[in-house]
Amino acid sequence: MGDDGIGLRIVEHIDGHGLAHGFEVKDLGSDAMKLLSYFDPGTERILVVDCVKMGLPPGEYRLFGPREVATRKIVPGLSTHEGDLLKVIELASSVGYVVPDIAILGIEPASMDPVMELSETLKARFGEYVDAVLSEMRD
Amino acid sequence: MSAENITVNVHHVTRVEGHGNIAVNIKNGKVEKCEWQVPEAPRFFEAMVRGRHYTEVARITSRICGICSVGHTLASVKATEDALGIQVTPQTRKLRRLLKHAENFDSHVLHVLFLVAPDLLGAPSVFPLVPTHTEVVKTALRLKRFGHEWGSLLAGRTTHPTRAVPGGFSELPTTAELKTLRKRFDTEVVPDVTPILDLVLKLAPAFPKFDRPTEFMALHSDEEYGLYDGDIQTVTPDGKKQLTKVRDYRKVTNEYVIPRSTAKYTKNRMESYMAGALARFNNNFDQLHPEARKVAGLLGMKPLCSNPYLNSAAQVVETVHSLYEGLGILDELIKEGIKEEPLVKPTRHGEGAGAVEVPRGILFHSYVYDKDCMCQGGNCIIPTNQNHANIQLDFEKLVPELLDARKNEKEMELALEMLVRAYDPCISCSTHYLNVEFIR
Repeated sequence: MGDDGIGLRIVEHIDGHGLAHGFEVKDLGSDAMKLLSYFDPGTERILVVDCVKMGLPPGEYRLFGPREVATRKIVPGLSTHEGDLLKVIELASSVGYVVPDIAILGIEPASMDPVMELSETLKARFGEYVDAVLSEMRD
Repeated sequence: MSAENITVNVHHVTRVEGHGNIAVNIKNGKVEKCEWQVPEAPRFFEAMVRGRHYTEVARITSRICGICSVGHTLASVKATEDALGIQVTPQTRKLRRLLKHAENFDSHVLHVLFLVAPDLLGAPSVFPLVPTHTEVVKTALRLKRFGHEWGSLLAGRTTHPTRAVPGGFSELPTTAELKTLRKRFDTEVVPDVTPILDLVLKLAPAFPKFDRPTEFMALHSDEEYGLYDGDIQTVTPDGKKQLTKVRDYRKVTNEYVIPRSTAKYTKNRMESYMAGALARFNNNFDQLHPEARKVAGLLGMKPLCSNPYLNSAAQVVETVHSLYEGLGILDELIKEGIKEEPLVKPTRHGEGAGAVEVPRGILFHSYVYDKDCMCQGGNCIIPTNQNHANIQLDFEKLVPELLDARKNEKEMELALEMLVRAYDPCISCSTHYLNVEFIR
């Protein structure tokens, strides 16, 4: 909802405009465990694009690796619908999965209201986010 | 009655990192408050589909949930097809049934092995099990991955599927792709499921004992164990069954609002009813695959089972059912070969309803279309909403029993959390952003 959908919007934009040259775009939705399907020798690199609360000003973005952060997310464990990407990566590593190089492009949300639109703050910088993804994936 | 004071307050912030609160206050041994509190998740989707062409509706409603996306898509296309007089081909029905089994398998593996198993092993999560049960965790991850890939082959992707559309499939798997999938069942899945079943059977005695006479609602089909199609069936503790056409779903769901909760409740012949794997098990046991019935026997389960904790055990039975039924459907499709088929077009307009069983229970969608096949309105009733009243009544019986058994606060909290977990609730509107702090 709201800026929670920024990752999806970016993925749809890149896919819809045929900008994915040399890489694939995938929508994992809310099931972080789907990432496991891409932990195989054929995968060179994974860039996860998502809304991330980092304590930055709304709209700011940052590229980081899983080892650079500690999750503050509390997963109550009541439902299959909760998930934490960082925990999935940690779990896979702990049982011997060969985890490819993973980077996360985190975008600080301005609003998480239950609406279908991005906030004006993120809309205004949407082009920057797309450029950042393309730049990262082409390197 | 004891003179204890106990407070259980399990608080999860709605639409942020969790959903639902457990609130129990016991003063001087008397239960003053015992509530399963679930703020209603807003369902803007019913407004969003208004004015949309029939080809767009399922693409919108599949986004009600990222985990149950396949189920929402199938319920949606079925409701649209019912409203617009679209009769799909036998090949389409078969592929959709296979897709339904994929969703069931994928979801149940996740729920049983990653959420329920830690409870039964006395662990707070799956992580402490890594050093002690390494091979089990690895196997669970492999099975989860397979379930996702099985579903993706048919649906395009399992989150917000692209290929299951009104009238058929926008893109079909090839026979060669189905053969590759079939081979993976033999070489990967069946060998992996066997040790998992052994573990679950060992853990079975750890399922909490609890019983409350309950009405159970599920799809029932004369052709097979109801997952994709059928009529609505309920069974009450006396064994009496009631069958209702899907179009009359409102007559058996009877949604209502109660003052203390923003979540709607439902009821039918009793004060509440349960949906989910246990409901399907109780309604359709005889139609389970023989291998699944065998597992049920080993678990000591037979209908009518009214221990909601055993919903997770019923999911294990269904995992085996979906595995072997999926194999059977795959073999049929491979033998027949996949044929290119155009999408079936509308032949009328009006109101229609569709129901499927998602892993968490029976799901209803209904829509009204005008003569231009534009949606004029819709309604969705998800299984978790249907279970709220039942969870509340379970709590009201369970808490005094826990008190009489002299359980302390922590034990009571765990028992109540395990009960909620057993229902495998669907948090349809939780946000899923990351929340991190940088390590300096």
